[in-house]
Amino acid sequence: MQVKEHRLNIIEVRQKLKSACSKTAPLWPLENFVAVNPYMGRACENFGQAVHRLKALAGIRSTLPMQYYLDALRSGFISSKDIDEVLRSTSTYKAPQDASEFLNSLSHGDSPKDAPLIKTFAETAAECDGKQWQRFAIDCISNWASAYFDNQQAIWKTGVSEVGLFAAWKLEASIDRSPEIMGLKGFRNMVKQLPDDPFQTAKLALIALDIPENSIETYLQALSLRMPGWAGYAAKFDWEATLNERDGVLREEFLAIQLAWELCLVNILTDKEYQEAWKNSLKTMSSYVTTGYHNETLNKLLLLQEAYDRANQRQLIAQLNTSTPASNTAVQARVQAIFCIDVRSEPFRRKLEAANDGVKTIGFAGFFAFPIRYEPLGHSEGENQCPVLLTPSHHIRESLGNTAEEYHVVAKRELQRQLSRAWHSFKLGAISCFSFMGPVGLAYLPKLILNAFGITRPGPLPKTQGLTKAQSRSRNVSLEQHGAYGMSLLEKINVAESALKAMSMTEKFSRIVLFVGHGASTVNNPHATGLDCGACGGHTGEANAKVAAAVLNEPLVRKGLYTLGIEIPDTTLFMAALHDTTTDAVVIFNRENIPSTHLGDLAELEEALEMAGESCRRERAPRLGITQGNIDHKVYERSRDWAQVRPEWGLAGCSSFIVAPRERTASLNLEGRAFLHSYDWKKDEDFSILELIMTAPMVVTSWINLQYYASTVDNRTFGSGNKILHNVVGGLGVFEGYSGDLRPGLPLQSIHDGKVYQHEPLRLNVFIEAPIDEVSKILERHNTIRELCDHQWLFLFGINAQGEVAYKYVGDLEWETV
Amino acid sequence: MQNTLLPFLPVVAPLLLLVLAACLLLKKEKGLSHSKQWAEAMGWTGVALSLTSIPVLALYGPLEKALIVSHGLGLSLRIDPLSVTMLIMISILAVIIIRFTRNYLDADSREWVFLTRLLTTIAAVELLVLSGNLFQLALFWIITSICLHQLLLFYPDRPRAITAARKKLIVARTGDLCLLTACLLLYWATGTGSLSELFASVPASGTLSTPLTWASILFVMAAVLKSAQFPTHSWLIEVVETPTPVSALLHAGLLNAGPFLIVRLSHLMEASTSASLLLIAFGGCTALFASVVFLTQPTIKVALGYSSIAHMGFMLLICGFGVYSAAILHLVAHSFYKAHAFLSSGSVVERVKIKRIKMPERIRNPWRIALAFASAAAIYVLCCYLWGIDPAGEFSLMATGAIIVMGISQILVPPLDSAGGRNVVWRAMAMAALVALSFFSLEHLASSLLASQIPETEGHDPIVMIATILVISCYAVVIWIQSQAKTPQAGSFGYRLGIHLRNGCYTNILFDRLVGSLTTIPNTTRQATLSKTPSSARSFTERR
Repeated sequence: MQVKEHRLNIIEVRQKLKSACSKTAPLWPLENFVAVNPYMGRACENFGQAVHRLKALAGIRSTLPMQYYLDALRSGFISSKDIDEVLRSTSTYKAPQDASEFLNSLSHGDSPKDAPLIKTFAETAAECDGKQWQRFAIDCISNWASAYFDNQQAIWKTGVSEVGLFAAWKLEASIDRSPEIMGLKGFRNMVKQLPDDPFQTAKLALIALDIPENSIETYLQALSLRMPGWAGYAAKFDWEATLNERDGVLREEFLAIQLAWELCLVNILTDKEYQEAWKNSLKTMSSYVTTGYHNETLNKLLLLQEAYDRANQRQLIAQLNTSTPASNTAVQARVQAIFCIDVRSEPFRRKLEAANDGVKTIGFAGFFAFPIRYEPLGHSEGENQCPVLLTPSHHIRESLGNTAEEYHVVAKRELQRQLSRAWHSFKLGAISCFSFMGPVGLAYLPKLILNAFGITRPGPLPKTQGLTKAQSRSRNVSLEQHGAYGMSLLEKINVAESALKAMSMTEKFSRIVLFVGHGASTVNNPHATGLDCGACGGHTGEANAKVAAAVLNEPLVRKGLYTLGIEIPDTTLFMAALHDTTTDAVVIFNRENIPSTHLGDLAELEEALEMAGESCRRERAPRLGITQGNIDHKVYERSRDWAQVRPEWGLAGCSSFIVAPRERTASLNLEGRAFLHSYDWKKDEDFSILELIMTAPMVVTSWINLQYYASTVDNRTFGSGNKILHNVVGGLGVFEGYSGDLRPGLPLQSIHDGKVYQHEPLRLNVFIEAPIDEVSKILERHNTIRELCDHQWLFLFGINAQGEVAYKYVGDLEWETV
Repeated sequence: MQNTLLPFLPVVAPLLLLVLAACLLLKKEKGLSHSKQWAEAMGWTGVALSLTSIPVLALYGPLEKALIVSHGLGLSLRIDPLSVTMLIMISILAVIIIRFTRNYLDADSREWVFLTRLLTTIAAVELLVLSGNLFQLALFWIITSICLHQLLLFYPDRPRAITAARKKLIVARTGDLCLLTACLLLYWATGTGSLSELFASVPASGTLSTPLTWASILFVMAAVLKSAQFPTHSWLIEVVETPTPVSALLHAGLLNAGPFLIVRLSHLMEASTSASLLLIAFGGCTALFASVVFLTQPTIKVALGYSSIAHMGFMLLICGFGVYSAAILHLVAHSFYKAHAFLSSGSVVERVKIKRIKMPERIRNPWRIALAFASAAAIYVLCCYLWGIDPAGEFSLMATGAIIVMGISQILVPPLDSAGGRNVVWRAMAMAALVALSFFSLEHLASSLLASQIPETEGHDPIVMIATILVISCYAVVIWIQSQAKTPQAGSFGYRLGIHLRNGCYTNILFDRLVGSLTTIPNTTRQATLSKTPSSARSFTERR
């Protein structure tokens, strides 16, 4: 064995690291928390294979415990027919062919072992001396990373950012005495002697650990799964670099740090006992690489999970097939309201249509195809407000429509910022904090009481900070071209054209077209932006809706669109609004700019929105545990409560994505579990819009769905744990408690209500109304989405011309009739 | 007065909480939904009851009511400005924390356990501050620490929580031992356990007898250990392993027991030079250490933990200086501040966004910084003049004044040391003046309120004076460095120092190793859930 490794050259090491790191899902900071598929990079494998691999590499669970499925069977949610079907269709798992025989073989407590098959050196060492070296290594790396990545939370920044990731770690690890105090003699010296190049260090580690060449990838993947949090945060920078067509290697550098720890441990813990145990671990690794990992119980769980998915599909399909197309499709709607595809829009749209039959709703990604970078007043830099798959095309500034007032607000914000800096250096500074407390501390008593009753919030709301009420009402966007900011007329026309086409909205414009972005209002919630619009990159859809309305209201833009064949009547007015998903209140922006001709329509619309909101709150109340009393009041109270850990249910429950005209779903109560994208294939001549939907929104919805899935089935790895222990770190993420890795994903409270799961682990079911041949063609062109479908990371269905779910995609571009 | 039951009203507040806790213990989960409403109602009742002690105090003056007492030991109730201040503060905090818990822990399957422990702990703290004799003081001192232990291990399978609890156990038991020995010594020397009799028997001036000196030293040690002073602080920062309301209660309520004990026994402390010196040494070092370490912490709750350690240190320090009323003012203010800081710790993310607003950079010109210090001193002297105080007249006032000047100088440094315009400077000056004025007013209020409970300070021991000057000069140096420090370059001295400080100068990890933190067994099951029993999904029941 010894001889082989030395053939490792640095290029190979680089490649192996890169390949292992490609499976690290990026993690966005809390200020714009975006849902990401935690299984990213694993779609090249079948779901079942990936489940086995994750189990072997890191002991990760990918289904709920057996008891859950047995409950589903007992309640009749899964029928024996589902089991039968799964048993018949499966060939990969060796299972009894008879449903009752299979069911008899199940028992409650059945659960595959949680300890990973593949062990790192730290874990192997722990088995020898009973000391949790892996946990210690994670804590040490995490301690360093929290200072390195710190985003202005610590007052004295103790990490250095001017050097690279690995170099910064090396610098600190050769000073930090913690490992030595914990008993790792000579740790600092060992770190000092490491090469400065992360890849050289990685190579050294692989050689010192004596890892056979065929096991290297397995080992590296296992190692990187030990810290998916910080590695993911590093991956986020690489992701952004790739979008800007640069090369990022932060992930690889981070993995090299983990390798350096393993290297130091193997050099320090040299007793024979450790070395013997490590040889055994290496043997297990080798045999895993050659023979793979099979677990009977895991296979059973996978079968049950698939039956569970099928049971859900069966019910969904039955429901979709009962749909009765709305009768008044031919009637011209007075209002067209465009909502985000988010599952929380579904109940509201249903209620809004019921409240006023002159309102037609449309589902589209919540950034309305206006990918912008948005800069609030007085801010030094803007933030991207578009799906993270895109780079923003335009830089837009916030404006108040009045230069003098803007100047005033900016000056006020800057003044406040400076005063708050002065105040903070007094309040938080060493020693000076003591003179703060006596004179000022008592002022926190009224603050404490006001906050406790939800009368004030602990801090100002960033978007309206320093603004008067009138000013915050008149907040708008400035499209004016100025340096890098704004949009030219041509750009406006181009963006407007592609947006309208993508929405299938090229004719029959109503008097009012409302762009409804969405956002949540919560207080004291570190994961607040996770409830905002994912299509706006973890922001509210406010700015995007305003930009869309402003562009489309410009007469010159309309003139340009007319030459392109899109005729917008002069009577049509575009407006922007925001759907508060926590309270189901919808606010229309910049009402004072609305011409008197439309005030009547506006009043009617606002009445309908009000009614819809109220009825929506009533529908959501039981799920929030509100059973009596003034429901409206209680829902609003939740949104202001600083102790509320479940202000709303977010996207919990999401399990389907329906791409079809609204008529197909208008008569159905989809219980806020479906993403709805309006799409009419008859208007999509070259199926380019379908291609867009399948490559962007479908991928994003699958990300969201898999994020919920993973946070439900293995919250310890892919979720952020218990919210009441959350400890915000570096202004960017949370620890659960004192230390450990940065936590990705969703908190337990977002998926579980204390009694039952509010999110059920179901893979996304995508229903597309379009000729399946065209769908197949698109799959053929795009390998990434084809993998998702072929490997059962999501399920794809075709809706036929009669509006029935008629086809199911079975992989390899094949379909079967349902 | 002898026959009225009025003075006993405040003691009903903790008893109500205990009754509720007992009911919960009996009915378990079934009693939860009612108990949650009752708990808050009891909390408000507690606030009302504790407020009744104000008229009692105004009518009868400080009093000690014996319940079951022999030889000055047993259960007795003490109503005086100090205990009343503490009681009112704790009952207000209690109701806020109970209210917060109601929704925060909603639907955690062990919520009832949490509520039971929380209520018991609050009751124990309230009974501690109402103690009228040594026996009761020591008893509830120990009970609070046991209750806290239970709260610390609310999630018993978290390895870090276990480590923290182990460390806490060692520190707390040592502290208990100190306290018990001190109480015994005091009882042996004076023959009484009643606090009022004790205060009377301590000589106002002159030297203390050996047992009394030892008792005072042991009391200081008990306070130091209770209030997580350096180097025994490391358990406190790990308390973030428990739900946020526990942190709020601990940092705003339980830690205060240390300074409270010292102020309670201020007659003894004032008479003992060694006790004062010890307080200055422990408090001064801890305050400096923890307030600097605080700056380096990138996680919010751990940072707040260090801040609490620092403030506890400062309170003990000024007790050592002999300004007990300032210590109590600091204690009450800090409690409200810290409870708020913990409960609102989730809001820190929003602040990141506000920090994006443009701002002129610091220039870091020493002359401008010096100007800020001079202005701060000028503002302070001006306020003294307005208040009719001779700033150089009294030593302890001078000492506290120096610290105030150092503090308000920090308001003035950033505006004066950056090109932000005059507007900012004027406003910062106004803020500084306001702070100085409110310091004097509140200080005056506190010292006149507590006058009956704290000894007159007549002339200081020269050793104490020297120690005081030493500490303050040290602080001045740190403040000066802080006001011009910028982010250190990689590899520089400042950079290395930063790393050592962020690790709390390794006291934490050393203690970790001593208690074998690496061997604590991690959670055996991977399934993270909020309920004990396996959960199903909502659709199983709805769609059946």
